[in-house]
Amino acid sequence: MFIVSACLVGCILLLQTAVYAQDTTAVKEITTPVKAKPVKNTFQSVWIIDNQTVMVPIKGTFELDIQHRFGTVTHGYSDFWGLFASSNMRLGASYAPINNLYLGIGIDKYDELWDGSAKYAIIKQTKGKIPVSITYYGDISYDSRNDPTHGIFVHSSDRIFSFNQLIIARKFGEKLSLQVAPSLSHQNSVNGFYVKNDSTGTTIFKEMKHDHFALALSGRYKIGETTAILLNYDQPITEHATKNPNPNLAFGFEFSTSGHTFQLFMGNYTLLNPAQNALFNANSPFSYNSNGTNVKGGQFVIGFNITRLWN
Amino acid sequence: MKRKLTLTISVLAVCILSFAFTTIQQPKPWPVPEKNAKMANPVKSNAESISAGKALWNLHCASCHGKKGLGDGSKAAQLKTTPQDMTVASFQSQSDGSLYYKISEGRDDMPSFKKKIPDAEDIWNLVNFTRTLKK
Repeated sequence: MFIVSACLVGCILLLQTAVYAQDTTAVKEITTPVKAKPVKNTFQSVWIIDNQTVMVPIKGTFELDIQHRFGTVTHGYSDFWGLFASSNMRLGASYAPINNLYLGIGIDKYDELWDGSAKYAIIKQTKGKIPVSITYYGDISYDSRNDPTHGIFVHSSDRIFSFNQLIIARKFGEKLSLQVAPSLSHQNSVNGFYVKNDSTGTTIFKEMKHDHFALALSGRYKIGETTAILLNYDQPITEHATKNPNPNLAFGFEFSTSGHTFQLFMGNYTLLNPAQNALFNANSPFSYNSNGTNVKGGQFVIGFNITRLWN
Repeated sequence: MKRKLTLTISVLAVCILSFAFTTIQQPKPWPVPEKNAKMANPVKSNAESISAGKALWNLHCASCHGKKGLGDGSKAAQLKTTPQDMTVASFQSQSDGSLYYKISEGRDDMPSFKKKIPDAEDIWNLVNFTRTLKK
């Protein structure tokens, strides 16, 4: 009886020591400071309405975009605030072949414009080390409309636009991210006419310059785990002789899911190409001319961006 | 009297038959390799980790698993495998390493998240969050 009890007690003690042994082999929790990692999710999408964000998805990500811009809301119910009017649309696809690099291609209804883009995340905001994220975005587009009589394009190089932008962003806490993005747009051909063309010489008047600087200011504010408010303002900087483009004001919502991001908004830009929007925006955010009368309130269009990412 | 007896027996028979040939939905067993099950969680379960995990949960997981992990998300009805109730002891008793493995690798209806959530620390944050679902 005593031997049985002794064995039982011995077993219990052994079991107890076994339990303690497990605890001592547990991995010590990280309390020492580790190498700082870049901040995550400055933005939930590569788009913020019409502009790009600093975000470049990880290597191996494939993206499809559908973007839509409807007619202006100024006609009210007669075309259901522009939803039933003539609209512009872009289909795009992008891929990240290596980390920090994103290559894209797209086709846009207006002018049958093909565009190819490259985006590179240069530096990323890191707590205690780097205060901002900076990404470069470049886009070249080609107007592929048929022009057999060369009425629009004398040379095929006249069809080309280019766009270069440096995107600088900072995440302020979990909810607010802000971005500043100066850009340079270039149009290969501009309209012009002879002011003087005689024996004394030739002077050509160009309606616009080829190069155009602009500045974009964008912000995202999270109002829920998967919902955010978006705000964007684009200001033209270069002044042209004529046909100066309007600034752009856009505001809306973003809804995120695991694979999709939906952005629904109102803005002035309709052209779905960054260079063309910067150079040619005909819709003013502040007021417009209607039959000689100045109408306050601006010309806005409803639009959406749908993005789907696959890893 | 005889008719009443027959009626009672018929009603009882119908009741029993109505859930005969059915099985109570058991969660489909998901074996985890021992090496992965034994992997220790290097991320301290503090407010910051749980908050990060919660954000990831709401974005990636809640649509199937539900906001509180009950398996009642809006997409759950369409799935072939019903998501298990994560609030109960039978789910919570598995190791952190086991949860990490399942989130990373996925199975059938459940996607693999190792590419969607590429930072390992984020998956551990999610594991830390799922512990808070325990009732």
